[in-house]
Amino acid sequence: MAEADDRRRPPGSRLIWPLLALPGTVWLALLFVAPLYVVVAILFGGTDPILREPVPVWNPLDWDFTQFTYVWDHIVGSRPFFRPALVRTVVYVTIATLGCLLIAYPVAYFTARFAGRWKGVLLAALIAPFWISYMMRMLAWVNLLQTDGLVNRALSAGGLFDVHVDWLQGHAATVVLGLMYGYVPYMILPLYAGLDRAPVRMLEAARDLGASRWETFRRVTWPLSRSAVVVSLLVTALPMLGDYFTNDLLSGSPSTSMIGNLINNSVLTPGQTGQAGAFVLIILVVSVIPMVLYVRSTRSGADLMS
Amino acid sequence: MTGYRGSASRRSIVKGALAAGISLPAMSAFLTACGSKTSSSGAVKIPSPDNPVTWPLSKANQAIAAGQTPKAGSTLRIYNYADYLSPRVLKDFEAKYGVKIRLSTFNDADEALTKVASKDLKFDLYFPSYDSLGKLIGADLLRPLTHDYLTNYDNLWPSFHDPWYDRGARYTVPYTIYTTGIGWRTDMVDADIAGMDNPYDVLWDTKYAGNMAILDDWHTAMSMVLLRNGIDDINTTSTKDLDLIRTQILDLRSTMRPKVTISMYTDMPAGQYGLAQFWSGDAINTPYYLPKNVDPSVMRYWFPSDGKGEIDNDLVVCLAQGENPVAAHFFMNEILDNDVAGKNFGFTGYQPPLNKFTPSTLVSQGYLPKTLQTAVVEPQDFKVGFPLLQLPAASDTAWHQVWQEFKAGG
Repeated sequence: MAEADDRRRPPGSRLIWPLLALPGTVWLALLFVAPLYVVVAILFGGTDPILREPVPVWNPLDWDFTQFTYVWDHIVGSRPFFRPALVRTVVYVTIATLGCLLIAYPVAYFTARFAGRWKGVLLAALIAPFWISYMMRMLAWVNLLQTDGLVNRALSAGGLFDVHVDWLQGHAATVVLGLMYGYVPYMILPLYAGLDRAPVRMLEAARDLGASRWETFRRVTWPLSRSAVVVSLLVTALPMLGDYFTNDLLSGSPSTSMIGNLINNSVLTPGQTGQAGAFVLIILVVSVIPMVLYVRSTRSGADLMS
Repeated sequence: MTGYRGSASRRSIVKGALAAGISLPAMSAFLTACGSKTSSSGAVKIPSPDNPVTWPLSKANQAIAAGQTPKAGSTLRIYNYADYLSPRVLKDFEAKYGVKIRLSTFNDADEALTKVASKDLKFDLYFPSYDSLGKLIGADLLRPLTHDYLTNYDNLWPSFHDPWYDRGARYTVPYTIYTTGIGWRTDMVDADIAGMDNPYDVLWDTKYAGNMAILDDWHTAMSMVLLRNGIDDINTTSTKDLDLIRTQILDLRSTMRPKVTISMYTDMPAGQYGLAQFWSGDAINTPYYLPKNVDPSVMRYWFPSDGKGEIDNDLVVCLAQGENPVAAHFFMNEILDNDVAGKNFGFTGYQPPLNKFTPSTLVSQGYLPKTLQTAVVEPQDFKVGFPLLQLPAASDTAWHQVWQEFKAGG
């Protein structure tokens, strides 16, 4: 059958789509490979003797591994002072991502299935946070969360209770909530796209065959949306891994430092810029794991659909 | 965060790539960074009050000829800390000389030096502390000054006419003077800090855990440990002293949960915390940020009454990379004018070292409330106080590693 289809195609048609995809693929590959090489050249490069600025070394034969070794030793060695920030990052990102999922899934589900003619308005409302910069949204929270800010005033119920929660004084909960607030729109959109594509016929078939609402969700809706969930987890968790700004604004305390803060501090400190490259490589390696999960998930999703 | 608005430099893009992991700008960096790279070499002189330095005049960067005027319509690019120049002063200068000022800002001296070192940002004026002067001159980034333009130079305190960090004032004009002490709000901190045997101990008092902040400046923050322990050499290269710093700064981190920031002057008036390590200029500024229903007298500042604390001054230098050195010289002279300096002081809170400003006049003229008079710097403070100096490279690395460990969090 496939051979018959091939015979019907005009000559050269097999090459059209790969050729059309080629420029974009090359462009994306360059955008990945070239910057990565810049990072590596700085990581294994030298330092200007006076200003202590990084001097990239492009020839791998001349690479110096001191900066990488320093970072590695302080993650796994006897004085692992970088390790808590790495662990904290994983914990914060995991909690914040799951929190985002808890918020985003019902919203996306409702929009996709029940919003009806309000779907467009709801989608616009979901995209609305993107119109305001991330920094501005976080700065707004700084005002709201100040000791005499609106949040504490609301909690005090008009002065009924004496509430002086120091939200901005290095609390992990504030940082995690900030991450959730900042990144939840990134999760809603891919989830919506995935749920909107789920064939209604299959849901109706499940109900017709006697499945309860919960069973329909568990055995039909969830498996159909699994690949969208994985995508949305990825697009949310990956930028969170490198986030430093949320912590800087909503905590400012070393006790909530994340790997993004380690990178930022290293970049801004003369003589330590190469170390930032080491942290970037660590994020890259860690990111590969969910990417593999994603690939496996899309494959199983495709199997399910077929 | 910098308010940097210039065109992207090669180095800034490379650093952007690092900060963002792998990002689009790094692509252009890759394409352009294969060219020549700024590099400097040679020994760096380290000036100190006991070792005054006369810097050699740059061969590559010539001083400008006297008698010129700023070109109307030209742009003067200034690189300075955020909120460290009065917008009114800038506008007045623009109107007076017909030049356009483009102000870019930074929050951290290390970050600023990185950007300045890229050379191609075309900043005309930069406001460093003297602990980075050796690096700036060593890397040949400065243009020697033409003093014919600095007609207001005599307004300065005599001690700044021939400063130890730049004999003959070949490259620098003093900008502001300040001490580093402790600031607090009496309505949030009940301790009589000024009356304590060792006021630095209050920063380790767990009663105020979660209610305090320290300066996000590695040398300033860690020097506080030395001063707390009666060690006057805040530029120590001793391993033993550095071990002490490490132990106590990590202890502070784990027991006090400090916020590490330089925005105390807005955070404390907003009630985010009641106790912080403070620069005197920021302390002077705090009453202006207090809510209207809070009495400004709640703000207090402590600095050792015998003057044996950290004292520094910031500078203005003319960068060789700038394209408008004449306007730069005019601006340097302008901020030494008594009236202009007064306007600037009114906005920044940082005192200019001009003869006109004395503790009594500063209070009587309403620049600060009497309760913050301790934040005023006097000439004799520079005779007994301890300046932060540039450290030798090995010690600088060791200090930075302790700070890195502190900021990584436990």
